[in-house]
Amino acid sequence: MKHRTRTTLALAGTIALLAACSTEDPDAGGGGGSAEGDVETGSGVTDDTITVGMLTDLSGPFAAGAAVQVTQTQAFYDRLNEEGGVCGRDVEVEVQDHGYDPQRAVSLYRSMAPNIVALQQVLGGPTSAAVLPLAEADGMYLGGHGWAGVALEYENAQIPGTTYSIEGANAVDYLVDELGLAEGDKIGVVYFVGDYGSNSLEGAQHAAEERGLEIVPQEITPRDTDLSAQVSALQQAGVSGVILAAAPAQLASLAGVMASQGMDVPIVGNTPTFGPSLLETTAGPALLENFYTVTSIAPYSLDEPGVEEARELYEAADPDGELGWEVPLASAQARLLTTALERACEEGDLTPEGVVAAMRQTSDLDTEGLFATPLDYTEVTEPPTRTVYVSRASADAPGGLEVLGTVEGPSAQSYTFG
Amino acid sequence: MSYFLTQLANGLSYGLILGLIAVGFVIVFTSTGVLNFAHGSVLLTGAYLVAVLQDPIGFWAAVLVGIAGAALLGVLINAVLVRNLAEANPGTAAILMLGVDILLLTELTRRIGNRVLPIGAPWGADVVTFGGITLPTSRAIAAGLAVVVFGVLWFLFARTGAGVAMRAAAADGDTASLMGIRLTRTGAAGWALAGALAAIAGIFLASFPSPGIAPTLALTAFAAIPAWVLGGFDSVVGAIVGGLIIGVVTALAVGYESDLHFLGRGLGEVVPYAVMILVLLVRPSGLFGRQEAVRV
Amino acid sequence: MSDLLRRLPLALGVLVAALLPLLATDFWLQAGLFAMAAVVGAIGLTLLVGVAGQLSLGHAFFAALGAYTYAWTAGEIGGRAAGLGLPPVLALVLAGVVAALAGALFSPISGRLRGIYLGLATVGLVFLARHLMVNLETVTGGFNGRTVAPFAVPGFSFSNSDPDYVAVAGVEFEGLHRLWYLFLAVVLLAAWLGRNLKASRTGRALANVRDSEAAAAAMGVHVARAKVTAFVLSSAYAGIAGALMALAYGRIAPDLFGLQLSIDFLIMIVLGGVGSIAGAAAGATFVVLLPLVLVQYSSELPFLASPGSGGLEAATLARLLYAAAIIAVLLFLRGGLAGAASRLRHRRDHSPPDTGGPPPVPPPDSTDPAPAHPGVPPRSKETTS
Repeated sequence: MKHRTRTTLALAGTIALLAACSTEDPDAGGGGGSAEGDVETGSGVTDDTITVGMLTDLSGPFAAGAAVQVTQTQAFYDRLNEEGGVCGRDVEVEVQDHGYDPQRAVSLYRSMAPNIVALQQVLGGPTSAAVLPLAEADGMYLGGHGWAGVALEYENAQIPGTTYSIEGANAVDYLVDELGLAEGDKIGVVYFVGDYGSNSLEGAQHAAEERGLEIVPQEITPRDTDLSAQVSALQQAGVSGVILAAAPAQLASLAGVMASQGMDVPIVGNTPTFGPSLLETTAGPALLENFYTVTSIAPYSLDEPGVEEARELYEAADPDGELGWEVPLASAQARLLTTALERACEEGDLTPEGVVAAMRQTSDLDTEGLFATPLDYTEVTEPPTRTVYVSRASADAPGGLEVLGTVEGPSAQSYTFG
Repeated sequence: MSYFLTQLANGLSYGLILGLIAVGFVIVFTSTGVLNFAHGSVLLTGAYLVAVLQDPIGFWAAVLVGIAGAALLGVLINAVLVRNLAEANPGTAAILMLGVDILLLTELTRRIGNRVLPIGAPWGADVVTFGGITLPTSRAIAAGLAVVVFGVLWFLFARTGAGVAMRAAAADGDTASLMGIRLTRTGAAGWALAGALAAIAGIFLASFPSPGIAPTLALTAFAAIPAWVLGGFDSVVGAIVGGLIIGVVTALAVGYESDLHFLGRGLGEVVPYAVMILVLLVRPSGLFGRQEAVRV
Repeated sequence: MSDLLRRLPLALGVLVAALLPLLATDFWLQAGLFAMAAVVGAIGLTLLVGVAGQLSLGHAFFAALGAYTYAWTAGEIGGRAAGLGLPPVLALVLAGVVAALAGALFSPISGRLRGIYLGLATVGLVFLARHLMVNLETVTGGFNGRTVAPFAVPGFSFSNSDPDYVAVAGVEFEGLHRLWYLFLAVVLLAAWLGRNLKASRTGRALANVRDSEAAAAAMGVHVARAKVTAFVLSSAYAGIAGALMALAYGRIAPDLFGLQLSIDFLIMIVLGGVGSIAGAAAGATFVVLLPLVLVQYSSELPFLASPGSGGLEAATLARLLYAAAIIAVLLFLRGGLAGAASRLRHRRDHSPPDTGGPPPVPPPDSTDPAPAHPGVPPRSKETTS
């Protein structure tokens, strides 16, 4: 019987080889899409709909925050479609769940790519890192991947605001200029290893060199929710301020332990460190006392038209939802993509490549307060802005954060990428 | 010096909590031969019950419900799933527990969301100071309680009929069975005990200095695996000692990271496993594990 | 007759796998690449667990080693992360060799520990690997990872370029299609080698060690060496699997090689039926594809809530179903998928179904506190054929 198997195998191989192995591309020279009216279209665009994709985490560690963003994005496009949509078409969102698994993210991207014109969001560090190069090869717009500096290597990636490194640099500048730290002081940086925390640390280190301070780094993982040992080490080193690039659970522990050890120094967190439910934990009083945050995106409570609109949409869509930075972020991301789609429509090229090109022509984009300054996406390797919002914990403000103002410090300006 | 002592006290108290978890691994393993990968989600279930019930029924009643709930969950997992495996061996049982873990964790993650649920313990964020060392009150209580629990365990195993039956079943199931010990009962007792210990550990792990319950709490059980392994898979004493070693080594590695910079950053994560591998190189069956009789 | 029946599915399977790229969408091709990479790793693990009775949770470490070895040796000289610029074929072989060497270095532990004890000890390797991947930035690119050079033989690249356009039967063969055949070839080679190994002198020695170390030693088997051999071989398979994963991703980072990967490999072989090569392949396909298929299609179900509304969502349901499927296989299918398939075959052959199942095993209550082997596999037909 062995012969039979081998014969079958050999036959299969021969068939595969013989079957017209051509190397002449019949499409060569011709563009991908067909011209519909005066707008060229490609994947994901029909005469009446534009489909955009969201690859997010609805069953893994970031499920809750991700669901808020899905709700808000959906609400945004529903309203947009009521008002006439984009380019005479409705915008539809195709949502898929990668569960924070890069393998699933890559496979789902492959399944989505032929049906969408752009990716509204790929949530998560490892997942977006896996999808970004593929999307780049396909010339596909990719937004909503967080603020890691590594995204600035990709022409197709639209970073929503500035990078974690610029946040980190601004945090040092703010500590020095507003919170009374001086040359020679030490700043602790407690961070998640990875594209988020380590990026923030790079910014802080640059700023510390510029301003003559010293950084005391403490690396942690998302599993660490008891930061006693880290706080003791920081206290031993005599730090006068702490920068945190981690998640809400770590912030609560850090603030609580610092208060219990009598360390009365300011804590400055990156965007993802804070969640309003923290104020109800035992760390609440300590946070109200000492917590500040530097964010690329406007906090929930900011009184600017863009953020007010986001709040109004969200409260209608989910009256009992958590009031975090995810709400303005999702609105802002949808707005960025809508702007690119509209521009691509005006240019007459609504293919995926056309959307990326339109995004890269965007300069001086006003977001009505969702971001701290107008945004400029014309330079791939430069962040669209270097200004961040500074807020502090507040028991009265919705979402638990009260905006103090904006910052673009000298070391944030001098930080170089690449 | 007081810095060293503070880190040491931190490490010891954390190590005792790890010991509670590791002892659970040992008891389940010796009583039913199962490598309990769902231990973390049982722990999280117990702590979660306490967090949601402390408001309506009060903290102490919630603690009782949480401990009983985790114990019951363990017994149910054993009775409904483990004992009905198509093929009973440690490999399939371990994978079964992975399936149970995914099931429980997915549901708990859905319920908890991105909130951090406070545990509402009366000791709050208090600290105690003695001899220049500052330690969170919750940790001091945890350490004291762990010692008491270990004492009770010793009494149970050494002085009570049920305990002796469990030890006999663990040492040689077939012989114990011949002598009239009901292995289903010792198995159930083992799972209940492990679940209760996990819930107690969970309550303290979710207390200050941690902010409360988050799904990542389930991962802490994995941190107890090196403690279990280096202590010797089947030794309760080994699990306790292993917990202490891992707790202290981790705390010192984090506390003196700046002096150990040449080893790379993020030592706290890798050091427990490095210590475990080193111990196994010298003693393949762990510090207190039974040497296998077979010599080849 | 039974010989033909046994071979027919294999031949059919290979034929279908060879023709699939002509029909499948990119989604299925990509998922298939991941599945085939997993198959290679799972075969290696099933040899270790099923044939030698050893357990490893360190497969992610060896896969990472293979992936980074490939990326490093095949990488461009003077690129962003260091590279040696070797031919990709050589790099692929080196991925297996380096992983095997690392497996050999672990022999002081792998030669002395048995079964589940070894499994837990190897968990340490996964965390060690992560520490190295993050800290050895010049080679690994640190936490952001590095790109992987596409596989190529002189004159033909397994990517979208060089030649830019190849078509078979009117279907354009892009990188995914080309890689598909490379992966298929590696899978077949891995399965063929594994099968021969099981039937060889070494394989029988390993099986003896699994059944009783004392008896094996009495028959002249060098027990420690046999255990080390199994571990080294299994590590080499994992290394190749890692290199394939790297090719399927195109870019690798430390997060891809966490403890979850090791655990997934273990789930694959236990679901498939420990010790069976076909079972490992089936288990790997099951574990890789099931969550994807569930996620793709569960959103069509009517009773589900929309994302963010707090009800039972498709994504959560998919994950629950995945866990339930694992539990169901373990509760109801003796000998995993391979065991079930073999019983089905025997029923068709009118022979008593029991012979295909594993030998009776003691109930859980009487489990020895220090069990000798993690998964006593069924003495499958494949060992004796």
